Amino acid sequence: MVKITALMVLKCTPEGADPVILANASDLSSFGFFQRPSVKEFIVFVGRTVARRTPPGQRQSVQHEEYKVHSYNQNGLCALGFMDDHYPVRSAFSLLNKVLDEYQKNFGDSWKTVEADNSQQWPYLSEALTKFQDPAEADKLLKIQRELDETKIILHKTIDSVLARGEKLDSLVEKSSDLSAASQMFYKQAKKTNQCCTIL
Amino acid sequence: MHAKSGNASIRDRTQEFLGIAERVKKSYCSQNGPSSSGSKPEEPPRSAMAMQSEFNRRASKIGFGIHQTSQKLAKLAKLAKRTSVFDDPTVEIQELTTVIKQDITALNSAVVDLQFLSNSRNEREHISTDTTTHSTTVVDDLKNRLMSATKEFKDVLTLRTENLKVHENRRQLFSSSVSKNPTNPFIRQRPLASKSAASTSAASPLPWANGSQVDGESQPLLQQQQNQQQQQVVPIQDSYMQSRAEALQNVESTIHELSSIFNQLATLVSQQGEIAIRIDENMEDTVANVEGAQGALLKYLNSISSNRWLMIKIFFVLVFFLMIFLFFVA
Repeated sequence: MVKITALMVLKCTPEGADPVILANASDLSSFGFFQRPSVKEFIVFVGRTVARRTPPGQRQSVQHEEYKVHSYNQNGLCALGFMDDHYPVRSAFSLLNKVLDEYQKNFGDSWKTVEADNSQQWPYLSEALTKFQDPAEADKLLKIQRELDETKIILHKTIDSVLARGEKLDSLVEKSSDLSAASQMFYKQAKKTNQCCTIL
Repeated sequence: MHAKSGNASIRDRTQEFLGIAERVKKSYCSQNGPSSSGSKPEEPPRSAMAMQSEFNRRASKIGFGIHQTSQKLAKLAKLAKRTSVFDDPTVEIQELTTVIKQDITALNSAVVDLQFLSNSRNEREHISTDTTTHSTTVVDDLKNRLMSATKEFKDVLTLRTENLKVHENRRQLFSSSVSKNPTNPFIRQRPLASKSAASTSAASPLPWANGSQVDGESQPLLQQQQNQQQQQVVPIQDSYMQSRAEALQNVESTIHELSSIFNQLATLVSQQGEIAIRIDENMEDTVANVEGAQGALLKYLNSISSNRWLMIKIFFVLVFFLMIFLFFVA
């Protein structure tokens, strides 16, 4: 089952300094209640490290134990996603793109001046986290491919039923031609009986 | 006359000139023929003629070869101009290039041989200056044509390398990493064109967004920025891009399959429509027959139920039996 564990937006200063967290949303329901804080710390730390190591304008995927961390650094603004191995990489990156664009749209360029970790929640990020658990939501290509496959299945069924209909139509043709022959015989017989019994 | 024959269509003029030269030489050697040194002057003119015709044959072959090579070159130029990023006829271009190169080298050596032949012949025998000028002109012309063909070939090759370079640049643009700020707002803002502030440039990414194959993924692609060659991350970008390209191609092929399925469906349904029409006709025939039969039976019923004839017949039959009975008893 594909799953997103966390999404983060950071500001990456060029070289050296630690990236500053701008938004953070995580879904820690799979962990036990007492593990959550440590997992959260772990996420923050790994996120910072990966963001620092991602050069601007590039995408990166890092495998960490059973998680893949995908990061996309776009000109100083960096988005990270913690996903499991089954989440398609492409969808991950398109999701990151979307998150970044949304952030840019919402906050403009104000993130450039932020120096301390931002602790307030960005609601878009958390609902994005839940919405995009299904990779098809994030990646339009995947959605299109899925819909096309469904359509293809439906069409296959349609063709099967059309073929069955064809068979039934064939039998109907047979029966109707038999009927017309029989009715013709009936007509001739009726004419015959009408004609030749005038004597008796 | 030889100046004329030195220019275009050497083959044709050469034959004419050859005929005239033969005639002249015949008249010349017929003048010399009766004299004592008859055979010897005959020899050089004849072998001169033989050499001349040999020369002409070779020149015509070389001219033909050059013509064919320039045709192949034109084809190559068309192929080289036509290349797009995804649909490169590299193999054909390579083949054509090697073939043309071989041709050109062969023609080159042939022209050199021809020149050597004409020089040796000119030195060896006593030939009129017209012939020598003619042969030198022919050789020069062939050399010029070969040189122009080679130059065209070189131009085509440079064009091809430029195209390859452009493709490489485009590929790097698509699989790029580091940003350049001026182009960034153009490119990145395109998907949010309706919302974000600084987007004016739906047009400018399009020209280098490389046509219909990329349009479907142009939105995510155009969020990339220009390249500053960081090698270890480029493979990831490449595989990302390749996976996108692959997904697009899958979608396209799926759509093609869907269209073929729909076509088959339409064919099947139209065939079945024809069958349905046949059924309909059969049923109409049946209805007509049954109605006719019903009418006939009704008439019969009428004739049975209301026939006076029948009563008279029954009466006569009864009377007949009565007669017989009376006759036998009484």
